[in-house]
Amino acid sequence: MGYKLELENISKVYGDGDSSIKVLDSVSLKVATGELVAIVGPSGSGKSTFLSIAGALLSPTEGRIIIADKEINKLSEKKLNKVRMENIGFIFQSANLIPYLTVKEQLLLISKLAGRQTREDEEKAAVLLKRLGLAHRADQYPEHLSGGEKQRVAIARAWMNNPEIILADEPTASLDSERGRMVVKMIAEEVKLSQKAAIMVTHDKRMLDLCDRVISIEDGQLTELAKEA
Amino acid sequence: MFLALREIRHAKLRYSLIGLIMVLISLLVLFVTGLANGLASDNASAIQNMNADYLVLQKDSDNQISKSELDEKQLLQAKEVAGDDNTEDLGVRMSTVEKIDTDKKVDVTFFAVDPNGFLSPSLIEGKSISKTGKDEVIADAALKQEGLKIGSEIKDQASGKTFMIKGFTEGVSFSHTPVVYVNFNAWKDLQKSIGQEQSSVTAIALKGTDKTIKAVEKEMKGVNVLTTKEALQGIPGYSQEQSSLMMMIVFLFLISAIVLAVFFYVITLQKINQFGVLKAIGAKTSYLSANIVSQVAVLTIVSLIISISITYGLSQIMPDSMPFVLTPEVIAICSLLFIIVSLGGAALSLYRVAKVDAIDAIGRAV
Repeated sequence: MGYKLELENISKVYGDGDSSIKVLDSVSLKVATGELVAIVGPSGSGKSTFLSIAGALLSPTEGRIIIADKEINKLSEKKLNKVRMENIGFIFQSANLIPYLTVKEQLLLISKLAGRQTREDEEKAAVLLKRLGLAHRADQYPEHLSGGEKQRVAIARAWMNNPEIILADEPTASLDSERGRMVVKMIAEEVKLSQKAAIMVTHDKRMLDLCDRVISIEDGQLTELAKEA
Repeated sequence: MFLALREIRHAKLRYSLIGLIMVLISLLVLFVTGLANGLASDNASAIQNMNADYLVLQKDSDNQISKSELDEKQLLQAKEVAGDDNTEDLGVRMSTVEKIDTDKKVDVTFFAVDPNGFLSPSLIEGKSISKTGKDEVIADAALKQEGLKIGSEIKDQASGKTFMIKGFTEGVSFSHTPVVYVNFNAWKDLQKSIGQEQSSVTAIALKGTDKTIKAVEKEMKGVNVLTTKEALQGIPGYSQEQSSLMMMIVFLFLISAIVLAVFFYVITLQKINQFGVLKAIGAKTSYLSANIVSQVAVLTIVSLIISISITYGLSQIMPDSMPFVLTPEVIAICSLLFIIVSLGGAALSLYRVAKVDAIDAIGRAV
């Protein structure tokens, strides 16, 4: 299987009749295994809408979505929830951790939600935290972590359910450029290491050299940008 | 439960404050309930605990025991319809007695009963009264606090008659006065002294099924047949006392429902974005709802345990003269109601959680 995520001729129209706005106009994108794709564009260009559709949070008006060889655009709300839980990992703008859970519990919550809680999950959480350099923070609450550490916990959380694809919504927005680069680097490394894929929405141009492809979104159209050397 | 308990653990101050409010409210509910029960029993235990199912009262008595009067003809009729074994005459007269050789006066209520019949009180001390003797009584143990003992003599103010206490019973009062039992010979003297028909009585107590009661209602003219519970309402002050206390209890339940509803609604509003994130990473509405419900349940149950212990402790150190009765059944019913009311208060929050959309988590900075 070559592609983790395929979007075919996706359109999204908000409102109806005269007042309708076409946010996405028949766009297509394929993300291959091991790829980190950056999506850039001015605010209001439909970046968030695009990411929401790719993440099965929003249904497109038209078009097909295939995640891990499974077409999901015709599934019910309940099944989409399951797809999200099993195949997609989210990283949000600010880390969006649950304030009353320790770092370790943030990760274990994911397996709880999936209805299991085994020793394997605990080990997996420990391994992830170690890999992201957070092992010494496992029993701390988010309020004691720095911004970069929080975002790293969010990355670890996104990997916890072993998703096929990671969707990141401006993961570096609340970080300085040095920490931001570190976070993006970690995402890129994880994608390569576990043979998964990731899409990252960003407007931080300094991060683009870490991504495999850069796609610009404007007026509802996607354009692949040539990578700067 | 995973999230519910961890959140309570993390925000200890916030949850202990709301817990404290709930402890205080449920304490007040239990206390007022105990007081209402205590007052009811202090007021009317002689009727509440009466070994009879129904009371026949005069039709023009407004269902008030103290206003009722039945004549001999009606007595005989009742015996005929319901059977001799199922009927007992009852005389009730409120009065004031004087402890002999002192000027101390006590309000009492005379109950005239057949000493061998089913209305005869059970003794805790001394001997029963005879059927014929005219000057013997069995008194409620509350009179002991007035310094009366077995063998003490009391004088009825209205009739001037003197009685000797032969025995004590307990837990019988009528309109907040202790009950003094006499036989019908003495009753006739009491009636005569105030110019009433000697053979008339206040009420007839009945035992039996609906069928016999229907027959009594059909055959007898000029009477009302009430259950003993209905007759309680006709005791002076009883329904007024109970309804004002009842109103307080209902309001306390309402207040606790609203306090909890507001608390959990505000907390839920604060966490809307967090719920969005949880939904985005795969939490279902049912999971989040179960969390809120279990939080409310844990909070309510812990608060109830604390307030029940405090209520129990208080009842131990309360003076005996304070009317306070709280049985395990009443505590159980109150607690159950409290839990239901609390969960009802959380319903508003559940509605908000159901409306949260996972998509809210995307494209937001906070």
